[in-house]
Amino acid sequence: MSLTITLTALDAARLLDATSAGIVLVGILIAGTRSIGRAVWLVAAQAILLSAAIAGVGLATHSSHLVIGSLVTLASRGIAVPLAIRYILRQSPVRVERNPYLGPRASLVAAIAIVFVSAMAIGNATLVGSVEAPRALPAAVAEVLTGLLIAMTRRKGLSIVVGLLVFENGLALVAFSLTYGMPFVVELGATFDLLMVVVVVGVYARRMLTVFGSLSTDKLRNLRG
Amino acid sequence: MNDPVVAILVLAPAIGGLAAWRMRGQTVELIAFAAYVAACSAGVGLILAAFQTGHVTAFGGIVSIDALGAYVLALTLIVAGLALWASPRYIRHELASDGLRPHDEGHYYALFLWFMATLITVPIVDNLGLLWVAIEATTVVSALLVGINRSPDAIEAAWKYLILGTIGVGFALLATLFAYASSVQVLGESSDALNWTRLMSIAPTLNPSLLRLSFVFALAGYGTKIGLVPFHTWLPDAHSQAPSPVSALLSGVSLVAALYALIRFHLVAVAGIGPGFSSTLLVAFGLLSMAVALPFMIRQEDVKRLLAYSSIEHMGLLAVGVGFGGPLALLGVALHMGLHAVTKATLFLSAGELVQQYGSRRLSAIRGTITAAPVAGVALGGGIVLLGGLPPSGIFVTEFAIVVGGVTQGFFPAAAATALLLALCFVALAVHGSRIVWGHPGPVLAASNFDIGLALRLAAPLLAVAVLGLWTPGPLISALESIKAILGATGA
Repeated sequence: MSLTITLTALDAARLLDATSAGIVLVGILIAGTRSIGRAVWLVAAQAILLSAAIAGVGLATHSSHLVIGSLVTLASRGIAVPLAIRYILRQSPVRVERNPYLGPRASLVAAIAIVFVSAMAIGNATLVGSVEAPRALPAAVAEVLTGLLIAMTRRKGLSIVVGLLVFENGLALVAFSLTYGMPFVVELGATFDLLMVVVVVGVYARRMLTVFGSLSTDKLRNLRG
Repeated sequence: MNDPVVAILVLAPAIGGLAAWRMRGQTVELIAFAAYVAACSAGVGLILAAFQTGHVTAFGGIVSIDALGAYVLALTLIVAGLALWASPRYIRHELASDGLRPHDEGHYYALFLWFMATLITVPIVDNLGLLWVAIEATTVVSALLVGINRSPDAIEAAWKYLILGTIGVGFALLATLFAYASSVQVLGESSDALNWTRLMSIAPTLNPSLLRLSFVFALAGYGTKIGLVPFHTWLPDAHSQAPSPVSALLSGVSLVAALYALIRFHLVAVAGIGPGFSSTLLVAFGLLSMAVALPFMIRQEDVKRLLAYSSIEHMGLLAVGVGFGGPLALLGVALHMGLHAVTKATLFLSAGELVQQYGSRRLSAIRGTITAAPVAGVALGGGIVLLGGLPPSGIFVTEFAIVVGGVTQGFFPAAAATALLLALCFVALAVHGSRIVWGHPGPVLAASNFDIGLALRLAAPLLAVAVLGLWTPGPLISALESIKAILGATGA
């Protein structure tokens, strides 16, 4: 009698479905928090869930490229990016989103509404990729939209970046739920680009702190017409 | 066999950038020049081979250069050459006037070379995923260039560019994913399932609803980088705040690189589901871009923003032309891409010169350049006339071809609207241009000293654009024919 755990492809798809639900739940929490620091940890939690799903599918399908991909996701989106944003955040005098265009409670409700709308719009569409995980794609689209919602309704530069990262997590989940990811070289390039975006965010956050004394985008209203 | 040449093309500017980072003065200028020459020699070899044989591949099909790719690569090298040539004079002036800090010099050339490397990568990769990676990389690198002088306005422009560019291009990633999903349904998860040439060969068997979704997201995503309205809001800020040689590169080729990416998606959509869907969207968004750019050009007070809005207008025109399809409009599109790139780059270089001499970018200050700053002033005036499409400008020919091509393809109202908007935009530009050149001279910071290099690099491209309106050399005609064949490969 063997004690090794073997995951079938069906188990893997269920795992993806379950982690998608988790990612959506965390996304709603991100929309509902004022603390930028907490939001960054929640974004990291999303990425860790995502990498767990990728690892599970990789083990089930014996795909070494997916297992490596999950480690890359964990190291970049789950660890390096959140730590970098935390580092930038520590230099900022204000670390909560004080006066967003849409408050945390309203954002929370909006994020829940987005999940329902995505589920209804995509739940039974005929966009079947090669993946049998029916809840993953609506969840992914909901995350893309939640990220946009956060990026568009916040004033603090780093809150907007949090929205951008939720958006990027959503994109990664779309990729994974349609086709179990893209060709490996493309995944690597996309990850590299994301890391570079965070580096450039850091560069400009530092300049904004020096020149404006804060990371509030309210100061960025000179250029018009 | 082509692998080492392609490697030199991309790696020379990439490594040159590393070498330039901590250097200053003539050393860094020499490094940048050497890296450019190396990349350019490799590029010319590949471009000639691509036009002669129709197709150059390398690295096992990851790199695939057809006539359209070779053309965009050629434009990138030409405009990058002009911008690099103008950089020493521009940067020395900024250093002398404390616009830049001493160590920014090396960073400028390093970032310039990396920007060039990313722009070069766009037209040579066959894989649509890598194409996306390259376009996103152009945003990241050029965002650092836009804000290099640390002024509040430049920081604002760079921040908006970075955030809006990244979100916008994120939608283009969705487009790529949908294309991949449609292709995996047919091919399985093979490594070439995202290769454009492969997608074209299986296009009729791809899932139509996925193709439609893919094109819509590509239009929003790459449309952001092209500056199509309503995704354009970052463009006037970034193109006006960037150092002028970088503005030349942004407006001249970075927009064309994104348009190139969108055209690839358009061609897959046309091959898969017929021309109706994507062509209509391109014509609609192109016209909208032209119509929205017009009032901003009329009321404009900043010379570089004026040129930036004009770029939105011309990208709109190109989108309209691609949407029209048909041999005449596509020929016009092919030539217009190049003429706009060269003219707009020269205009930004002359505007940069004037901004430095007048110490202001306001159109109310930059007046009477014919006496105060004759070289750059005449170049700006002449460039505006050529850009507006007054004969004998080559742009007259291309705009005429696009409008008439639209009529012959049955887009009569759209073609009429295009012609009207072109005329109005020309008037707006010409009014500003005549005030700049002939107006009552405003105060200048420094009298212009005649510089033969400056005169050459501003006059030569404009002369070329004027000559191309009267006479097109044979090799260029055959090159344009092969580009047109790709643009219309499967279409109407």
